[in-house]
Amino acid sequence: MIEIKNLQKVYDVKRRQSFFHMTREKVVAVKDISMRIDKGQIVGLLGINGAGKTTTIKMLTTLIEPTNGTYSFDGIDAIANPDLVKRQINMIAGGERMIYWRLTAYENLWYYGQLYGIDNTLLKKRIEKLLQIVGLEDKADLPVETYSKGMKQRLQIARGLINDPKYIFLDEPTIGLDAVVTQDLHKEIRSLAKDQGKGILLTSHYLSEVEELCDYIYLVNKGELVIEGTKKELTDYVFARNRYVFSVRGMDKKIVCRLRDNLRMIDPESEVLFEDGSCTIISKAELSSAIAEFALKEKLVINELHKQEPSLEQAVIKLSKNLERKDTQIA
Amino acid sequence: MKYFIKVVLAESYKQHRNYFNNKMIYVSLFLWPLLSFLASYYSYKAFDLEESAISYINSGNILVFLLIGYMAMSFFRSVVQSAWRFSSERQSGTLEYIYLSPASRLAVLMGNALSSVFESSVVMLVFGILMIFYNRESLHANVVGLVVVMPIYVIMALLWGVFINACFLYSRDTDFLFTILEEPMEIFSGVKVPVMIFPGWAKLLSCIFPLTYALEALRQVTLNNSDLGTIKITVLISILIIVVLLAATLITIHIVEKHVRKTGNIILF
Ligand SMILES: Nc1ncnc2c1ncn2[C@@H]1O[C@H](COP(=O)(O)OP(=O)(O)OP(=O)(O)O)[C@@H](O)[C@H]1O
Ligand SMILES: [Mg+2]
Repeated sequence: MIEIKNLQKVYDVKRRQSFFHMTREKVVAVKDISMRIDKGQIVGLLGINGAGKTTTIKMLTTLIEPTNGTYSFDGIDAIANPDLVKRQINMIAGGERMIYWRLTAYENLWYYGQLYGIDNTLLKKRIEKLLQIVGLEDKADLPVETYSKGMKQRLQIARGLINDPKYIFLDEPTIGLDAVVTQDLHKEIRSLAKDQGKGILLTSHYLSEVEELCDYIYLVNKGELVIEGTKKELTDYVFARNRYVFSVRGMDKKIVCRLRDNLRMIDPESEVLFEDGSCTIISKAELSSAIAEFALKEKLVINELHKQEPSLEQAVIKLSKNLERKDTQIA
Repeated sequence: MKYFIKVVLAESYKQHRNYFNNKMIYVSLFLWPLLSFLASYYSYKAFDLEESAISYINSGNILVFLLIGYMAMSFFRSVVQSAWRFSSERQSGTLEYIYLSPASRLAVLMGNALSSVFESSVVMLVFGILMIFYNRESLHANVVGLVVVMPIYVIMALLWGVFINACFLYSRDTDFLFTILEEPMEIFSGVKVPVMIFPGWAKLLSCIFPLTYALEALRQVTLNNSDLGTIKITVLISILIIVVLLAATLITIHIVEKHVRKTGNIILF
């Protein structure tokens, strides 16, 4: 089990004012993150750009040292003993870099295998198996530069498994891949956790990915945990609210105001947002019939009225905004 | 230890495949030293070497004198180039994965230096050896001295390379070392002109380049029939330099790792 508590990373950044003058400033990349990853579990780390996901992964992989906080790795103090941790983890990041383009897939895997000091006969077997898993066995002897993006990405996955890690950190592994390749990869990731019992931490921009794969989700913003829970818990928490899209012919502010007053009688906390000639209504209560009745009463011609499926994406944006609002209020 | 050697060999092989997969590169790495060597050789032709201040240089062996200079230099210089190439791994993101592994950093740097030292200078070495063989009558070699001295300087060149590699890892801003080390090394180590005739300030500068000692010892044993006793000071200094280089490298690797873990600059470029 991996457990981090109140992990923090503050970078000292030099900013050049002029040729002779530099000022130092502190950049808080991660303010306070605590999380837990169990074996056989896929944990998701969600957040918008700059939220501190990559920084968190780098701390977990011991590539960077936290400014504060504790990190226990199967009972080992990982901050003091990065070398013990390194053997048992690996990281896979999205994108095409991080492999040697002039080397073949086989040579790449062989090289990384040597870095882990893996016995040569074992390594050979493992490479063959991995190449087969990621479907590159036919291309194993071609230089990587001749591969497509998806193939390079699959090679990354194989590389990340070369030392048979107990925990795998995936930093946006499917970035830039098409739906089919992504699906294959998802299957692979799931099987790593469920069949092989590996602990996986996955960061992603694609919320559907996290929704689909993760057993437990942490949502971060500006280096802080906003919310955590199982997918179900998060969905419940956020979407105890219902969300409706509603528009009528000749919709204007007056109609929206009347609608708002009307709905507030049912749910005083309901929100009615007017944008581009259509309304978005957010409420804890079930409002579809009330909205329809309102339209009928006002003799409005309904263009659109439907309930939106809850999605994690909206939750991220909404929760992040809430937090920001809190921040600015404090400041 | 087995693990260490595995990493050294893997790294050499990788560098070989990554940078030397085109045969032309061997020729191009040889062309510049060759031209420089020819230029120096023909400049010497203009002077009367019999009157030279250096006892062991004469018009007969100036060719060998220069060849030894250029061969040793290509050895020492290639490692600086290898360091420069290695820093490109920062950009390709592969350096981060090396740091992610538990592999000995020293082994990785050694593998890199090993591959580049031999591959960048192999053509120059072959050329030099052939030329020297052709001019073997101008040699005045002490075989025992040569056998002892050669490995010392191969090790020294390797460690010099490893050390410079380690410095390059510190940050991308250490690229300036490249400019500082390349040309001055050629000038002040006495590749073309013996250090002995340098003015005092230049002699002082030459002291800081390990290549200076390598050249002195190698030329003494090949051209002047010096035995180990005669050059013992140079050899002792060289061994001292090797020890210092090794220590400095280990310390640098340690500092780099700390620095990188603090600033996260392993992927910045
Ligand atoms: N090496 C560094 N030095 C200084 N600041 C850094 C460094 N790395 C990251 N930061 C800062 O830390 C913050 C968090 O960055 P991080 O890369 O962790 O975000 P992220 O959640 O991975 O974003 P993205 O979704 O864009 O990948 C950013 O504001 C970034 O500018
Ligand atoms: Mg990131």
